[in-house]
Amino acid sequence: MARAKRAKRSAFWRRLRWSLPLALILWLLFRPAYNTFLAFAAEKLCRLFENPPATRVVVQEDKAVIGRDDMRTGSGWLGYSLTQIHFNLIPALALILALPGWHRNEGWQKLVWAVCILVASHLLGLVWHVQFFFATSLGPWSAANYGPIARNLFGVLQYLFDIPLTFTLPLLLWAAFYWDQVSELVGLTPPTASRS
Amino acid sequence: MDKLQAFLATPAGRFVLRYLVALGIAFALMALPPVNEHVVNPYTTFVAKEGALALRLFGEAVTVKEQILASPRFAVAIFNGCNGLEAILIFACGVLAFPAPVRPKLLGLAMGFVGIQVFNVVRIVALYYTGVFRPQWFSAAHVLVWQSLVILFAVSLWVIWAQRYGTSKAR
Repeated sequence: MARAKRAKRSAFWRRLRWSLPLALILWLLFRPAYNTFLAFAAEKLCRLFENPPATRVVVQEDKAVIGRDDMRTGSGWLGYSLTQIHFNLIPALALILALPGWHRNEGWQKLVWAVCILVASHLLGLVWHVQFFFATSLGPWSAANYGPIARNLFGVLQYLFDIPLTFTLPLLLWAAFYWDQVSELVGLTPPTASRS
Repeated sequence: MDKLQAFLATPAGRFVLRYLVALGIAFALMALPPVNEHVVNPYTTFVAKEGALALRLFGEAVTVKEQILASPRFAVAIFNGCNGLEAILIFACGVLAFPAPVRPKLLGLAMGFVGIQVFNVVRIVALYYTGVFRPQWFSAAHVLVWQSLVILFAVSLWVIWAQRYGTSKAR
């Protein structure tokens, strides 16, 4: 039993050495398309609640450039790094793929769910950046269209998605979706006989 | 709803719930202006001073002004999110939420704090030299490489701690 435990543990550390570069390569491959998708989806989501719809979210290199169609081109536009929003896909994927037997018990389905939750958090994170920018940085227009409650609410949501969720979701999703494997890894349950 | 309740009744659900509550409290506290002013900002200045101390060992003429670490060759500003507090919270909340006795938890918190401090100093030194020798790589190294590594380091520390102290007795 102790040997099986040790084998499971060392397998995790061994696998982490290749799962991290693999996650990085996957992220680099999908980043351009994902950036475009995020900007497109955030713009659509913001426009759903606007009348007339005027939010613009454009991808420029790695940045989402945020502005409004109904303002002069010289007025405020914000460039925000999309990498800062979705880099947590790398540690999340690395942790999941490093788990021995992650694909057991509908592991692929769980992986899809975990990625979907991360994507939703990235999308909402970008939307809160857009709203916080509109609420606080467009001078008289911001003051006329957003009250103090809205400004504070969007500030809190931006902070929540910018730091706490970005940094903690990888561990949360890893533990929540793959608890069987995680609890084996940390020794709460005895290791199963199946090979990883 | 039934599925959620069933999940929360499992060890995974209980851990995730406890972890979420601990994180929620910790990050909410950190966001409060008095905490930010009297804890987070002084802590970030302390991290900048640690980084400066390490860089001086390598012969760099760095000075620290509040949270900015500067030398004639390069300067870095350490903000909330770069000060290692998020890694400490990931680790500390993971320890607090995990089913283990109190003493190992306290030991884990102390060792984890020191470990993350050391890791963060390595990060600051590495980023400083990236800025000096390859400034075009600084942004990618800062966001992509080191932030990912910080998360993985905090999780790895937690795994090592849990492997040692998360015994079946503690369940």
